[in-house]
Amino acid sequence: MNDTHHKKTTGSDNGVSRRYFLRVAGTVTLGIGVGGYAGVKEALPKIVKLADGRSGLPVSGGYLLVDVKKCQGCMSCMLACSLVNEGVENPSLSRIQVIQNSFEKWPADLTIEQCRQCVDPKCVNVCPEDALKVDGKFGNVRRVVDIDKCIGCGACVEACTYTPSRPILVSDEKYDGDLKARKCELCADAPYHWDPKGGGPKGKQACVEVCPVGAIQFTAEVPQQEEDTGYKVNLRDSNWSAMGYPRR
Amino acid sequence: MNGYAGKILRVNLTHRKITTLSTRKYEPWVGGHGMGSAIFFDLVKDKTIDGFDPANVITIMTSPLAGTLTPAGAARTEMQGIGVQSVPIGWFTRSNFGGRFSSMLKYAGWDGIVLEGRADEPVWLDIRNREVKIRNCSKLTLWGTDTWECQKRIWEYVAGEKVYGDWLEPAGADGGQTTQRPAVLATGPAGENLSRVACLIHDAGSGAGQGGFGAVWGSKRLKAVSVIGTGSIRVNNPKALMQARLWQKQNYAFKMDNLKRRFMSVDFQSPPIPGTMYRRGKPKTGKRPQACVGCHSGCRGRYEDGLGNESTCFTTIFYLFADSLDVQRQASDLLNRYGLNAAEMLWGELYLADLQRSGIIGTGMEIDCPLNFENYGQPAFAEQLVKMIAYRNDGLGNSHPFGDDLAEGFVRAAQKWGRLDGEYGDLKTGRLRFPYWGLPQHKEPRSQLDWAYGTILGDRDINEHGFDQLRSNPSYNKRWGIPLYGSAEEVVRIYTDKMVPFQADRLMLDFSAGNMYSEHIAKLVTWHRYYTRFWKQSAQFCDWRWPDFLNLYGPGKVGSTGVAEPKFLNAVTGKNFTFLDGIELGRKIWNLDHAIWTLQGRHRDMVHFADFLYTQPSTSLNGTPEYMPGRENGKWQYIETLGRHFEKDKFEEFKTRFYELQGWETDSGYPMESTLKSLGLDSVAHELGQNGKLGKG
Repeated sequence: MNDTHHKKTTGSDNGVSRRYFLRVAGTVTLGIGVGGYAGVKEALPKIVKLADGRSGLPVSGGYLLVDVKKCQGCMSCMLACSLVNEGVENPSLSRIQVIQNSFEKWPADLTIEQCRQCVDPKCVNVCPEDALKVDGKFGNVRRVVDIDKCIGCGACVEACTYTPSRPILVSDEKYDGDLKARKCELCADAPYHWDPKGGGPKGKQACVEVCPVGAIQFTAEVPQQEEDTGYKVNLRDSNWSAMGYPRR
Repeated sequence: MNGYAGKILRVNLTHRKITTLSTRKYEPWVGGHGMGSAIFFDLVKDKTIDGFDPANVITIMTSPLAGTLTPAGAARTEMQGIGVQSVPIGWFTRSNFGGRFSSMLKYAGWDGIVLEGRADEPVWLDIRNREVKIRNCSKLTLWGTDTWECQKRIWEYVAGEKVYGDWLEPAGADGGQTTQRPAVLATGPAGENLSRVACLIHDAGSGAGQGGFGAVWGSKRLKAVSVIGTGSIRVNNPKALMQARLWQKQNYAFKMDNLKRRFMSVDFQSPPIPGTMYRRGKPKTGKRPQACVGCHSGCRGRYEDGLGNESTCFTTIFYLFADSLDVQRQASDLLNRYGLNAAEMLWGELYLADLQRSGIIGTGMEIDCPLNFENYGQPAFAEQLVKMIAYRNDGLGNSHPFGDDLAEGFVRAAQKWGRLDGEYGDLKTGRLRFPYWGLPQHKEPRSQLDWAYGTILGDRDINEHGFDQLRSNPSYNKRWGIPLYGSAEEVVRIYTDKMVPFQADRLMLDFSAGNMYSEHIAKLVTWHRYYTRFWKQSAQFCDWRWPDFLNLYGPGKVGSTGVAEPKFLNAVTGKNFTFLDGIELGRKIWNLDHAIWTLQGRHRDMVHFADFLYTQPSTSLNGTPEYMPGRENGKWQYIETLGRHFEKDKFEEFKTRFYELQGWETDSGYPMESTLKSLGLDSVAHELGQNGKLGKG
C-alpha cells in the first residue's frame, strides 16, 4: 500500500495512525464482495488493500461525540433528528437517544447513545442485501444506501453490539408500512435537511446544530473504539464553568 | 391534521368507560386552554357544582406544538376544571406543568385527556399508545405512596421484563419501540387525603400546583396517569420548523461564549442557570441544567447529591429560613413527594412562624399547634409541616385537628381559628399574605399591576411573567448593580410596540401611582389576558421564556415575539395564523372563561382584593425597594412602586373601565349578548340567558 492510497482511505486530517488502522482492519470481516460495487462504483469506497494482503473498510469521515455530564436533557437533538430525517416528530425514530431518570443523581441520571460510525461496522458487515454500506459519496459514513434493497430483516439491529441498538427498524409509509432499516448517517442526504448544502461529514448534522448547550460535537477524527471514552467526552469549557457548572 | 394526534381520550371513572372525542371538533380553539374550556363548557351542564363533585370534568390538554422542536413551546400541559383551593368559590381554573407528559401523550396518539366521574376504588390510568387501561391501584400498592415512589412502581410495571436503557415495546411487538420511561402524573398523599392545597407531580419536580387538582384527583380516586407513546406527530413543513429553531437559536437565545447575564432571567434570552444556583449560594455539588422537552434553556437542575432534582419556582424558596440551602432542597423534595402547592406552603409556613413568635400558636397556646418549633430550620420541621397537611394530623402520625385545618388551606384555617375577624384580622393587617381569592401572594400586587388585576379579574394567581422583567431588571440594577436592559423609555417602547392591537399606547406600561386605574392599564391587563390565554395557555409557549419582548441578542434589543410564535405554529400546523389572530382568539377564550365564572356565581361585587391591599402600604419581604417604569413630571423613569396601596373607590372605577373594554355589563360584570355573539359564542350567551346572567346590551 502506498502512502497516497492510505491517505485517501483513512484521511490524513482525521488523525488515524497507520498503526491503529492496521490493528482495526485486521479484525474486519468483509460482508460485501468487491463485485457488489458494480454500477455505483464512483459513489462507494474502495476496499483497502493492505501490504500484507488483508482487506479493510475505510473509516468514516465523521463522528458524533457527546458529553453526558453537560446535556440538559431537552431532547432537542432527538426531535431535530426525527424531523430532518423522517419529516415528523418522534423520539422513537431518532438515531440519537437521550435516556433519563429524573430521580437519579447527576451524572448517572442521563446517558446519550449515538451511532459510533464504527471502524468495524458490524451492521454493514451483516447486511444480506448490500443495502447498508459504507458510502464514499458521503465521506464513508455507514448508510442505508439502497433502501429499496432493505428487506427489514433486522440483521443490522441484531448485529449492533451497543445498547440500545443504533440501527432501528421503522414501518415505512413509502413502502406500504414495510419494515426498513434506519441509522445515523450524520444527516447525509437527509430528505428534510434544512440547509441547501446538506449534511454528512462535510455538512451539518441536525443534533449538533440544535443542541442548546453544545453537548454534541462533530469530529473527523476517529475516536477510540474500545469502551465509551472515545465517544462520551468532556465538552465542558470555561464558558460552562462560568455558568456555575463543573468541568470535571 | 398536522401537529395533532387527532383524538382526545375521554375516561369515565364511574363506569370505567373509555371513549374518544374528535380533536377536529375543537380545532378552532387550536389547543390547550381554549380546547379545555370548550370541552368543559360542553360536558358540564351544571357549572355550579363543587370541585369534589364526581360530575366535575378535568381536562388535560396538549397543543399542536407539544412534542415538536419549538423552543420552550413543546412541553407544557394545561389542566382545567373546577378547583377546590380558591375562596369563596372554587373557580373553574387552570394549572399548567412542563416536563415530558404532553409530548408523550401526543406520541401516544392523544391530544388530551378528559376525566369524569369517580372510581369505586383507587385506580390509575395506563396509556400505551392507543391502548388504554383503567387499572386498580391495589396490584402495585400505589395508593398511599408518595408521588416519586408511585412513578417508579409504574415505570417498573410498564417495563415488564425489560430494563430501561434498551428499546422497549410497551404496547407489544406491533406497537413500536422506545427507550423512554413512561411520563407519569401522580397525586401524593396530600391529594389522597383531599387537601385543598394538593398538587400533581410529574417526574421529580414538574408540578401542576394551583387549584388543588391533586385533591380533585384524590376525590375521583385517581392516583396517576401514565403514558408512553411511540408514534409520530406530523409536521406541515419540517424544513421551516428546523430553520425557525435555528433562527431562534442564532438570533435570540443565550450564547455561552457571549453571556449577557450570569443569572437566570424569566425570558427567552436567559441562560440555563436555575434559581437554586444563586439564591442562597450554589449547591456544593455536581450538577447539570435540566430542561423540559424541546426547551433551549433549562430552568431547573439535577444534582450530584440528588437533592432538589428538577425543583423550580416557589418550590425552591419554600422554607425560606432553613438552616442551609441543602436543608431547603430537602424541603423542596418533600413538597414534590407529598404533593403540595409550593406558593401556599411558602407563605403559609412564614405565617405560622410569625404566629409562633407572637405566642399565638403552640402547645397549649391560643391555637393548639403540635409543630415542634425547636426544630425550625432543620429538616424535621419541614417534614412535620408537610406531613401534617398531607395526612391531616400532627405530622407525626397522631390524630390532631391542626393538620386537618391546614389541609383546607391557610385562609380557611385562619378563618376557622377566628384570625380573620375584627379590625385587626390577618387579612386586614396583611399578616396573612393571601391577597386574592384566598390564594397566596406571588409578585407584589400593589406594584405589579398587570399581575394584581389579572388575578383578581380571573380565577387564580396568574403566574404569568411576561412583564416581570420590568420590575426585576431595574430593581436588581439598584440592588446589585446588574446592568439595565435600557432606559425606561426605551424598554417601554420595545415592549409596547409588540402589544397589538394597542401598540401605540406607551402609557400601558406607566406603573406610577397616578396611572394605576387608567384605561391604559386596563388595556395592559386586557392584552395580557388575551396573549396568555392563547399563546401561552392554548398554543402553550412556556411562561418563563415567552413572550420575547426585549432581547439583548436581538437587533436593537428587540425580541422575537410577534414574529416567532406564529412562525412556529404555522410551520407545524400549516395554518396561516397571525400574531393578532392569536390575540383575538385569546379574547374569545377569555370571554368563555369569564362566562363560566359568571355561571358559577361571579358578580362584580365579589371582585375585590383582600382588605390589606386597600389599607397597608406595600413592602417587599426583605425590605428592599422595587422599581418599575413610570412617568414622573412627564418623563419616563424607573420609579419606586412600593409603599402604596389600592384605593377601593378607584378600583371600582378601574373595574368599570375594564368591563367596558371587554363588552361586559358594568353593573354586574356579566357578559353581554352582543359581545358573546360577536365572538361566535352564541351557545354560551344562550346558557347565560337561561340562568339569568346575561348582561344587557
